[in-house]
Amino acid sequence: MRSAEAVIQRVRRDINIAAALKVVFFIAIFCSLMIGPALLKMLALGLVICAWVWLSFTSARGSRIAADSPSLIASGQYEEAEERIDQAIGTFSLFQAVKLQALHQLAILRHAQHRWQESAILCRALVSRRLGQSRVFSRQAMLLLGESLLEMDDLPGAYQAIVALYGQQLSLGEVLHLLLAQLDYESRLGAWDRMMQAAPSKVQLAELMPAQQAARTQALLALAAKKTNQSDWFNWLRQRAQLLADPQVLCTDRPILKELWYA
Amino acid sequence: MSEPQMMFLDVPSLMESSQPAGRVPWFWIFLGVFAGIVILSMNVAQQAPQAHNEIAIFCAILMGGLLAFMMAVGMASARSYRAEQKLIDGIGELIQLRRWPQAAMLLEQTLSRPARTMPLRTQALMFLTTILSRYHRFEDAMLVQNYLLDEQLVDGSSAVGLRFGRAMAMLREDHLFDADRAINELRRTSGAAGSAALALVELYRDVKTGHPDDALRLFEEKRTLLRDQLGHRVADAYALAARAYDLQGRESECAQNWQNATLLAPAGELTRRYPEVEKLIGRYTPAIAPADLK
Repeated sequence: MRSAEAVIQRVRRDINIAAALKVVFFIAIFCSLMIGPALLKMLALGLVICAWVWLSFTSARGSRIAADSPSLIASGQYEEAEERIDQAIGTFSLFQAVKLQALHQLAILRHAQHRWQESAILCRALVSRRLGQSRVFSRQAMLLLGESLLEMDDLPGAYQAIVALYGQQLSLGEVLHLLLAQLDYESRLGAWDRMMQAAPSKVQLAELMPAQQAARTQALLALAAKKTNQSDWFNWLRQRAQLLADPQVLCTDRPILKELWYA
Repeated sequence: MSEPQMMFLDVPSLMESSQPAGRVPWFWIFLGVFAGIVILSMNVAQQAPQAHNEIAIFCAILMGGLLAFMMAVGMASARSYRAEQKLIDGIGELIQLRRWPQAAMLLEQTLSRPARTMPLRTQALMFLTTILSRYHRFEDAMLVQNYLLDEQLVDGSSAVGLRFGRAMAMLREDHLFDADRAINELRRTSGAAGSAALALVELYRDVKTGHPDDALRLFEEKRTLLRDQLGHRVADAYALAARAYDLQGRESECAQNWQNATLLAPAGELTRRYPEVEKLIGRYTPAIAPADLK
């Protein structure tokens, strides 16, 4: 697989070519409507439309190739997912969304592989305007970027990514990701009081997360409860977290949590 | 004489009314009009060669207008599809957030009119099975589940999810023979075999049919899997394990598992899901949640 920078360059090039091609198609339609007798006009217009439709159909292929990659990533089949994404990136598409989708899936793959640096580079490309705007991808990429930067201990960068999401309308899944990223960020700053604000709502949201994330969220809240001397919350959250995940694994991922079990 | 009351979430009528309506064949209309313009312009050009330029300009404007109209139709169609998709996604989020009445109302509205596409209708019907089960209308839920599975409207993982829901509904309705057959089928289904969801269904069957030894053997064997795959719903497994220990008369183990179950889910919610665990209420102390959570 190419480097993240090479992939971004390739996607950018394809998007530019596709945009130019669309302009050419519009000019061709206009010309075919203006030039020659009616029969020729029909023939020319038919040809242009056929070419456009054919290219649109083949362009959708990239989307189909990469369609399985989220489930492959979720089941840990990274090599197969990488192969599909590579194919999707290498296939020309008239649609910008197909290319951005492939790039987005590559960012998710790198995130799942814990290759934070590359994931962050890809996410930065997705949220920048240079590749065109897709609100869904840019929101999800911003979340991934925040998480990757947190893993890289880049707190100012993570803060910017998290703050950028506040003004946007997020789906429930995105809200859950944001909550965990925000608690993670605040725990690194030691903003314990802020972490415990609206704790009942945060706990309710944590209950919707998969086991590992739910455990980490509640363990971070338990730590905040301990620091703010709220013993009832501390005991309750800590016990919930250890029912959902192995404390040793939680502490390996976030050493700050050792204070909950090994202090 | 009073009028008969309309039933809320009337399954047969919702399944009927949500059938996608026939689409306007815009593509063929476009092609027909396009060919008509060409033929008309050729005829007129032959009859009045002196007006060739005017006819050419007129035809160009007509064809341009037709193309613009087709693009507008396409965009409007895509916009309304996205709006319906967003509505269905919203219902899914309400279900996740356990806002059952709001989700049920929206679903009733959505399914009362023809769906835009079959996949959107299928998604809405899958949500309907969840809501019907929540309201303990298991027979209705099974009706929809059977329809979706028999008509092969759902693919791999969704079909497996529906089969789990159907097996649970069968157990709740005491269709024990059917439930047992459904569980055996699930054991042979890829994606279901060896999963925590299957273990939970089997656990419930064993508790319901009074086989605590089998239930506890399964619970201990699959404990880590249940925790990792079910998330907070592992509370269900702890509650059923508590009931199994209770059936065996092992009070301390029962108390411990009931504590674990109620740490993760309120006792009221657990008894709503599994009426069998109601026998533990009052006899064993539930976990105490922080005062400001209640």
